[in-house]
Amino acid sequence: MAQSLLPPEAQKAVAAVEQADIVIGIPSYNNSRTIGHVVQAAHAGLAKYFSQFTAVIVNSDGGSKDGTRDVVLGSSVQDSQLLMLSTPLKAVHRLSFPYHGIPGKGSAFRMIFQMAKDLNAKACCVVDSDLRSITPEWIDLLLRPVLFANFDFVAPYYHRHKYDGTITNSIIYPLTRCLYGQRLRQPIGGDFGMSNPLLCRYLERDDWETDVARFGIDIWMTTIAVAEGFRVCQSFLGAKLHDAKDPGSDLSAMLQQVVGSVFALMQEYDSAWRTRNGSTDAALFGFRYDVGLDPIQVNVERMLNQFRKGGEDLAEIWGLALREDTLRAILKLTKYAGPKEQFRLDDELWVRMIYEFGCAARDNRLERGHLLRSITPLYLGRVASFVVETAEMGAAEVEQRIERLCLTFEDLKPYLIDLWFGTKTAAREKAPQSEAPQAREMEA
Amino acid sequence: MIRTLQDVLDRVLDTISFHLTTYVPPLVVALIVLALFWLVAKAVRWTMTKAIKGAGIDRFLSDSGLRSMFDSAGRLHGTPLIAGAAYWLILVGGVLAALNVFGTDLTSRMVEATVFLFPKAVTAGLILLVGAWLAQYLGRSVLVWASNEELPAPRRLAAATRIVTMFVAVVVASDVLDFAPRVFFAAFVILVGGAVLAGSLAMGLGGRDAVRGYLGERKAKESEEEKSLWSHL
Repeated sequence: MAQSLLPPEAQKAVAAVEQADIVIGIPSYNNSRTIGHVVQAAHAGLAKYFSQFTAVIVNSDGGSKDGTRDVVLGSSVQDSQLLMLSTPLKAVHRLSFPYHGIPGKGSAFRMIFQMAKDLNAKACCVVDSDLRSITPEWIDLLLRPVLFANFDFVAPYYHRHKYDGTITNSIIYPLTRCLYGQRLRQPIGGDFGMSNPLLCRYLERDDWETDVARFGIDIWMTTIAVAEGFRVCQSFLGAKLHDAKDPGSDLSAMLQQVVGSVFALMQEYDSAWRTRNGSTDAALFGFRYDVGLDPIQVNVERMLNQFRKGGEDLAEIWGLALREDTLRAILKLTKYAGPKEQFRLDDELWVRMIYEFGCAARDNRLERGHLLRSITPLYLGRVASFVVETAEMGAAEVEQRIERLCLTFEDLKPYLIDLWFGTKTAAREKAPQSEAPQAREMEA
Repeated sequence: MIRTLQDVLDRVLDTISFHLTTYVPPLVVALIVLALFWLVAKAVRWTMTKAIKGAGIDRFLSDSGLRSMFDSAGRLHGTPLIAGAAYWLILVGGVLAALNVFGTDLTSRMVEATVFLFPKAVTAGLILLVGAWLAQYLGRSVLVWASNEELPAPRRLAAATRIVTMFVAVVVASDVLDFAPRVFFAAFVILVGGAVLAGSLAMGLGGRDAVRGYLGERKAKESEEEKSLWSHL
């Protein structure tokens, strides 16, 4: 308690509660419209599945002005509506505090983890406050693998529209999988479960004031778990429906924070990923089912325009990061004038580009923010290519397409090792083929 | 006649003898001093190259972006840089010490002027270095931002940013050196004032419609973006 980072009122609350088996964290900022439903789902999940445990729901708020905290403390759920088999033995505590530090999800999580640690929680899970599709089962699926199957980290597995989560599909999932050898399909999903040792490990670290404090937190949590050998698994949660993102939110900033965090962690864990070849399935809990998803509008023409414009304007910056042949191929593509339906930024070129940007970030060849933000037009070009290529595909085919990209990442890993460590021999050796992806489904 | 020639010859020999006895010993001493300084400079450079690993300096050069600014190939390293600076500093000291051996008014003034100017020159050099770094940093920031925001002519905006930043650095450096400060300051005021005036006139006379059209287009793009927005994460 002496080293606690909690504000005084949170410390008092921790002292009053003393101990909790489970902590559910909900970060928020002006989410009064949706957070009530999330709190109710969390409450119902605890009452229904973990009635024998003491539990605390913690809202870590970023200074909302729309009464978010009042909604958290005021929302209620009738136990009689939950059709429970047994009566809850212990009451669920509900707390809400503003966090301190850099505004962002990472700082909110830090307070939640600190409270979970101080309460000596056996398991902790975090869920977004803008979720519309959360059900009590989510709480079960995120916590049960930790409490009853000795897993340290539970990542979410959602059904998403083929054009939803494009940073995940085109960069984060394939890269994380290829580096650390674990097939966690939604490494930046946002809803996670974790064990006490893992959250203590998170709190030990000193990089909370970096991009981790903002969009980088999800990949940071996932990477530490897989790179440091914690037991990881996934839980199928169904569809993820949440509020539309703030239209003002800047794609470049998002890319900078997420991809920047991946690259920074690549540097820290290079001895871990150097020796890992191929990838293996992570255990998947929950019962998989198909769900209808909202259609997503994508403006391919505009993305291609930004890609072309990037070629005209940013060649100087790309030239500092990319190798000559890669740059030449990219610039040639930016001059593509054919029908948009035939536009393709192929997998191998994309993977080489990501690897070369990773090395450039490691070498500080130019200011990291400039480097990472200059990826935006390239990313849009890749997304445009993916969209036109998968326009007629169903969900399963799209998943196969993403699998193909992942295999290209894995096949070209020796190229990354060559660039990163400067070992000429490694580049020529082909990494062993990965096992066919077979998600193991287990009922929790 | 012979007597006259004898006198002239004596005078010439006296002069040569005077110059030889007056200047050759100091010249020899000056050359010895210079050679000594050169040897010391070489020894210092060699020792520094062997003794200093320069990892911290390399990290600073990388992190600050100075390495990529001066050498995009990344061959610029801290140790030779520091050792080279020490070598040249000692060599310049040697030249000054050698000049001082002569003890003439001219050499004394040269030594004084150099000693007096040295700190200013170093300061001005540092200002120009920082200015060049800042110009590159701001130029790239503007370039990436303008390109991602789909603004017109990002490269020109970036070039203008670089030029203005570098110009400010030159004005400040010239002020430190007392080198035509008024000229530079006046040029700076004229440039900035002229740019503001030109911008105002362009906006007032002919650019209103263009700006209105551009802003309207941006607004339309923003609303379109809102419609086609999806979760990248």
